[in-house]
Amino acid sequence: MSVRINLHPNLLQFTDDQAIVEVNGSTVGECLGELVKQFPQIKGGLFDKNGKLLNYVDVYVNHESSYPEELAKPVKDGDELHITLMIAGG
Amino acid sequence: MLTKDERERYERQIMIRGFGQEGQGRLRQAKVFIAGAGGLGSPLATYLTAAGVGRIRIVDGDKVELSNLNRQVLHWTKDIGERKIDSATQKLRELNPEVKIEAIGEMITEANISQLVAGFDLIVDAMDNMPTRYILNKVAIEKGVPFFHGAVYGFEGRAMTVIPGKTACLRCVYRGVIPQEKFPVIGVTPAVIGCIQATEVIKYIVGIGQLLTNKLLVYDGLNIKFTEFKLKKDPNCEHCGKDSKK
Repeated sequence: MSVRINLHPNLLQFTDDQAIVEVNGSTVGECLGELVKQFPQIKGGLFDKNGKLLNYVDVYVNHESSYPEELAKPVKDGDELHITLMIAGG
Repeated sequence: MLTKDERERYERQIMIRGFGQEGQGRLRQAKVFIAGAGGLGSPLATYLTAAGVGRIRIVDGDKVELSNLNRQVLHWTKDIGERKIDSATQKLRELNPEVKIEAIGEMITEANISQLVAGFDLIVDAMDNMPTRYILNKVAIEKGVPFFHGAVYGFEGRAMTVIPGKTACLRCVYRGVIPQEKFPVIGVTPAVIGCIQATEVIKYIVGIGQLLTNKLLVYDGLNIKFTEFKLKKDPNCEHCGKDSKK
């Protein structure tokens, strides 16, 4: 199942500036796993040492928050994910 | 009833459909609390003062530094070393002497926030760190006053509006913190986001238009793109959920 992942600008350093990545997966976790397979260096930008999403990373599925299911949230063919990082400047 | 000078000063906005003298009167009655007189606080305070909000309280404990001047447009080269609230107050009073500007040169903490916002109808976030934003969000929920969030980084900005008890709050969206850092930013980004926050404040007070509630607006200045993410109230939210100590 093909899912498009839109990456936050601060993650593009791990993807050779590729802002959209196509992956296959039936959950958010599987999609992010495939993203990491394609771009291994992005792992540290998304997950902590225990494989949990970092608490300043948010994933939206079709523009809706994946919280609280997060990695377990099901996705289907054609879905669009956005990975955003918290920003705090003012 | 507006004075002759008020009718003239605000003529162009009074002309807006749904605004009128009644809307202007509501602005004059409003009391707005702005947390921060920096990148976001500068456009926010400027446009709310120009629009004729009756009373504005600005809180900021910092002094003006040279490195602030690329974005904090209420502060000028001559103000370096001055308290930001003094620099801001002087400009805002000159812009519109009819607005009561109150400036408080303190850092916002959990201990002083309740006192700082007492008597104000709206709380606007112009801070530069998440812990203080959570303090503002929490006190807004506790006091039942609307909260207007904004944040920036580089060419990116975000905004959302919180109506306590009705819509998702900042803590429903964010649960973590990021280390306080020297963040990259170009002045036009807080200008855009601060003006969006000011727009939300004005609409809320006047009672027109649709608010950015249950939505997180993300602005991408590099591509001039706005994206909206849908938000929901989190029933287990630490600040506004069923078990929170409101």
